[in-house]
Amino acid sequence: MSIRALWVVSHEKGESGKVRFSRRFPTVEFRAKSLAGTQYVAVPEDRVIPQLLLTELGLVDPDKPYVEVRDDCARQHRSPAVELRLDGPGGRTLWPVLTVTQGVLILACLPLVEAPPEPRPPLPSLASVSQGLALLLGLQDFLCGPGGKPEPDVLASRLAALPAVLLQVCPLGRPLDTPPPAGSVPAAVAPSPGGAQKQPAWKAGVHRGRAVVSVALTEKVRSMQYGKSSQQDIWDVYGMVMCKCEVEGVLPNVIVTLTLPHNGSPLQDILVHPCVTSLDASLLTACSVDENDGSAFSGPYKFPFSPPLELFRLCSYTSQVPVPPILGSYKLKAEENHLKVNVVLKLHESVKNSFEYCNAHIPFFNQNLMGNVEVKVSSGQLEVSKEKNLLVWVLGQKFPKSREATLEGTVHFSGTVAGPTDPLCSGLTAYVKLYFRVPDLTLSGCCVDQHSVQVYSSAKPRIVTTRELVSSEYYIWNSTGDAPVSSGLMVL
Amino acid sequence: MTIADLWDQRISAFLLSPSQFLATTSTESFLAELLHELRNDKTNDQLKVTKTLLVSVLLEHPTILCPSASVGEETALELLSVFSHTPQKSIVLKCNVMLAITNVIICTSCLNTHTKTAEDWLDLLFQMIQDINDYRCGLSQQPIRATACDCLREMETCSPGLLSQKLEALYLLKQQETTVLHQSYCLLYTLGLKNAIRILTNQKDVTDLEFKSILGGNEGFAWKSNQLELTSLPINMLVQVPRLTQGLDCKDLKSIMSLLLEESYLLMPISQSALLRELVEVVAMVPGLSRTLFKSQLLRLFGTADVSLMHATLFMKDTFTDSLFTTEDENFLLKRLVGMAQHPLLRITEKLFYMECILHFPENRPISSSGEESLPVLVTPRLAAFLHPTVFNDSATMLCRLNLLCLVHLEANEGEADKGIGFLFDHIMALLKIVDNDGSREVVVTSLRALFIFLMHFSGMEELSEKLIDKLCDMYSRHSRLAPNLIGLADRIQEHPRPSLVGQVAKRLTIHNLSWHLKVLKRVAKEGQITQRNTIYLLLNVLINSNLCERGNWQVGNAVLAVYRNLLDHPSIDQVFIELADLLQYISIQYDDTDIKDHARIYYTLLTNLSWEKLTGVLAKRLDGGRAKEPAQSSSESVEATGEVRNWLEVYQGQFQTPGFGSEVTLRYNLTHAKETDPLFDKVFTICLHFEPKDSNYAKVTDIHVPCVFRDRKSPEVKVKLKPFQPYPTSLCVSAMFTTQDGRSWHSRLPDVSVSFPEIFLPLPLPPNSSRECREQVFERIWEATASGNSDKSAISLFCFKPEDKSLADLIKTHFQGYLITDQQSERSWKVLLFLPPKCHILLKITQAEDAAQVSIATDNRELLPFLNSNRWLNRCFAGVHLHRSF
Repeated sequence: MSIRALWVVSHEKGESGKVRFSRRFPTVEFRAKSLAGTQYVAVPEDRVIPQLLLTELGLVDPDKPYVEVRDDCARQHRSPAVELRLDGPGGRTLWPVLTVTQGVLILACLPLVEAPPEPRPPLPSLASVSQGLALLLGLQDFLCGPGGKPEPDVLASRLAALPAVLLQVCPLGRPLDTPPPAGSVPAAVAPSPGGAQKQPAWKAGVHRGRAVVSVALTEKVRSMQYGKSSQQDIWDVYGMVMCKCEVEGVLPNVIVTLTLPHNGSPLQDILVHPCVTSLDASLLTACSVDENDGSAFSGPYKFPFSPPLELFRLCSYTSQVPVPPILGSYKLKAEENHLKVNVVLKLHESVKNSFEYCNAHIPFFNQNLMGNVEVKVSSGQLEVSKEKNLLVWVLGQKFPKSREATLEGTVHFSGTVAGPTDPLCSGLTAYVKLYFRVPDLTLSGCCVDQHSVQVYSSAKPRIVTTRELVSSEYYIWNSTGDAPVSSGLMVL
Repeated sequence: MTIADLWDQRISAFLLSPSQFLATTSTESFLAELLHELRNDKTNDQLKVTKTLLVSVLLEHPTILCPSASVGEETALELLSVFSHTPQKSIVLKCNVMLAITNVIICTSCLNTHTKTAEDWLDLLFQMIQDINDYRCGLSQQPIRATACDCLREMETCSPGLLSQKLEALYLLKQQETTVLHQSYCLLYTLGLKNAIRILTNQKDVTDLEFKSILGGNEGFAWKSNQLELTSLPINMLVQVPRLTQGLDCKDLKSIMSLLLEESYLLMPISQSALLRELVEVVAMVPGLSRTLFKSQLLRLFGTADVSLMHATLFMKDTFTDSLFTTEDENFLLKRLVGMAQHPLLRITEKLFYMECILHFPENRPISSSGEESLPVLVTPRLAAFLHPTVFNDSATMLCRLNLLCLVHLEANEGEADKGIGFLFDHIMALLKIVDNDGSREVVVTSLRALFIFLMHFSGMEELSEKLIDKLCDMYSRHSRLAPNLIGLADRIQEHPRPSLVGQVAKRLTIHNLSWHLKVLKRVAKEGQITQRNTIYLLLNVLINSNLCERGNWQVGNAVLAVYRNLLDHPSIDQVFIELADLLQYISIQYDDTDIKDHARIYYTLLTNLSWEKLTGVLAKRLDGGRAKEPAQSSSESVEATGEVRNWLEVYQGQFQTPGFGSEVTLRYNLTHAKETDPLFDKVFTICLHFEPKDSNYAKVTDIHVPCVFRDRKSPEVKVKLKPFQPYPTSLCVSAMFTTQDGRSWHSRLPDVSVSFPEIFLPLPLPPNSSRECREQVFERIWEATASGNSDKSAISLFCFKPEDKSLADLIKTHFQGYLITDQQSERSWKVLLFLPPKCHILLKITQAEDAAQVSIATDNRELLPFLNSNRWLNRCFAGVHLHRSF
């Protein structure tokens, strides 16, 4: 259960890859050598690593249309692990190299194969793989933070801190923990000396001060609407409960309960944080890949746990709701040198008509830039992006009383400058994408009642609960064009 | 630049490429410098940072800096003294030094050979971890204690069983520690426990007392006694799980296990998963422990969002199958995996991993247990439908899902499968449509990979593959830039080209983007089953109806000729013979470039004058010449890439894994006319030389084709490539077939070619720019191996002689120039290595003594000695030699 080496490689556009950080674990290498015997392949020097990695990930020679070692159709990059070909095709290989790519950064590690090297063992039979994976994902959070794109100097300072971090979480190649996510390191808490009760390893100290428990429930809704009888619209909802518990004690007990309204459809695919102490079997029974028989457990969902100090995701779930919050229709007609546009959005009656924001983006690809735009909206305002390839319909905080808003008119493409291209959106294949946020609402009806949060601690804490609904990947496709099929479920 | 900056630079250079760095300095001096700087007593913050950096070199590359156990031990001692002199408050530096010492001790085998330093270091570490709850050294020293635990754990891993007699002490420490460090103690104890039990399983008839004494052990470190192999595999890799004897009293162990499980919750998830795996192994090895111990943890684990904990749960499932997991549990777990493989909140890499877990799901009742990607029976089309690939997926996810779905539908019953395959087909078509709409390079590559997966699984369904290929051709006619991708795809599905992809493409070519088309046509011309009429008509059309010939572009001309080159080889060439000849003639007259004209004329002459067999013979020769270079190139790269301090013998021997490496001897001859012959034979053409070895020591020699031999011109050189099975002298019968000017063909027998012993000698086959050090090392290693007498084929021989008129140096120069490994004229000694294919060596050490020269001979094939001696070859080299001794 160890890794042999770890790399952070960056590849800026137009430059060859560069090792920004690397770490080898010689005692693990010592074991690798004795396990693999004559089939042992040593880890190559850092100077050749970027090229090998970039080749496997298809990132070398971006200007050349076809490079055999990179584009060979029989080399399938469809596993979390790639093999590095040290001597080109047919030569020695280093496997399994796990990789995680984020922006210009490639994080990679080489788990120890505790198995006979031939025939190559299945990835899931190797204990080191999930450990390496967990380490890489933690490293990704540590280096990139929640935004995902750190500034160069921020990244540099985080890279500089890596040796110290690894000293704690993976001193000798055996991951003990994952690096702390950037920015989430809790306010300095003095390490607590040994007391009567064992201190959890994931809690560096104890909280002192005012007790506050905040529970934030965020639901995201995705949708693909086609406006055709031949293609069924789809939508789904997934939610997560984020907690921050400032409570005294080494192992204080907290119980958060999620409840659904009467007749609410059950929460599915529940995943919980490792700090949850026990789970009732009925909580886990509902699964999105199952048929729902209506008799499924529908709450209340109790999550007893002992909180870590930092903000954490207590649990997540998916849910199937009967209707999408906004039903849209998009019709596009091509006429000579302009397009006729018609968009109708209807807010479902069950959804609270009170948005923090609600915008519809209508992009035009594979066209020249927009010229004259003669479009009217029944509600809100229309903006033309300064790049002249996108209409932004700002619906604001409220739909009109009728809960319906329309956009209608023509768009001319008079310019000679070509706009952005997209291979998916050719001809009349086009979409409207919605962005919205509704505070204090969930589609599944799921909620955390402030009074249901139980904290077993000496001081009575202040309890804050919030909930919100946010759109994610919310598309309305033009019904007069071909829309790409997005899910196999739909076709079944 | 400050000293710190200088070190910074040097260390970065070293870490980037130790081999390049050490090429400019020696390992010993660099190590000495490092240690010297580390001993520097001055303390300031900058120096502390620099020192940590210096330690990192030893930490990461101990085997490079300490090539032997003795250097390792000395270095470890030095580091120990650095450790004790580092002030208490330099925590990070101290921890790093501790790790470096551990790495040096383990990697230079100081631990395995039980050196004093290793023993002292273990004692010191054990002493450090006694300070539970930081009573003595205080909270600030906690990281040191944590590091000590990790070092001990690593030493136990690399020398399993080391702690097996200390389990009671470790257990007490684990119990008493209540700070966050209890995790380290817990992991250390559990590993020790598991290894101790594993050792005990090797023993027959374990008594209760022996079993108990393990848990109650409180003695020294178990050096060497009963240790496990370092290469012990985890139990899921073993055919049979080692087990303790039945009927042992497990009460104590059971309560220990329960407690460990109960407290597992307090560990970091990643450490928890490691702990669970160790505990699973223990329970699997001890029959007296019930699997139901884990029951209380199962629900918590089933619901976990952590990838390593989920993976550990699957390990548990794999180990205990239906003795812990009911059929419902199994179904439930699989459904969870499918759910997680598409969960919107998990990351791509995690989801890819879960898909791998589905493919290899450990079923309670597996149908086959092979490691191949055969789908678990529980994965039904209904379940898998949730993982249907979509055009919105990233490429890895899409390909992974597609592969899984293909496997599912291959297994599914007919009605369901047809429907499913239809959906996959639609998906592929959707991808190709995106490619058609000018998809980016990545989209093209991904789509063709998807197509390849589909074709590999469903190539039998002709209707679908035909449609796909139609679509590809259609696309190609619009996007000729796809030519290399399509050629690559055609190459890959070579075994299933029905109907041939490339042939279809050829039908639709138009004149635009000629250079791509020519590439495709060149590839098409290699397809034996495709008649080439279309290609030829197209080229005829293009050449006659365009201004291509007038423009006379050399590159285009060459590309056209490359197509012809492949066409000439084509088995059904006779069907288009006239058209092809017309075309070649047309080019040879009309193309406005002399070189192209000449080439076309040669092809024309070849086509019209030779039979197809001869033609392919002539062409094949050229082809071979073009390919021969490849293996040599790659082997030299491989030597360069490995870096580090190398075992050159391994590098040298590794080369032989490349098929055909070093297996040939090339002999050069000139093909000339016999003195007096009929003038009819003054000019002979298209000679085909045929060789027949007279014994079975050589492989069949391929025919050699020579275009022509003219009496009044320079005689052509002929290279005969011999492939010996046994490198003994031999002779070959030679015959020739040729054509004379009047067009008649002749067959004639040529004089035999005899191959003498020295003609089979080759120099040591190492990459061209290998260093002298490397050559010497290989020589010495082979010498040692031969002299050790381990092999019954090896032999050593010695003889002395008096060099007469010529000096020894001159003699050696004359006979062994190309085979010299070292040439130390000053010391009057020489080393010579004669390599004989396929893999025999004759090594000579020649020294000039006072009154005689002495030749020691070693060979790994004693059968060769007679040729050295009885044929008097050596005698002839050193005229007037007396064989002195031979054994």
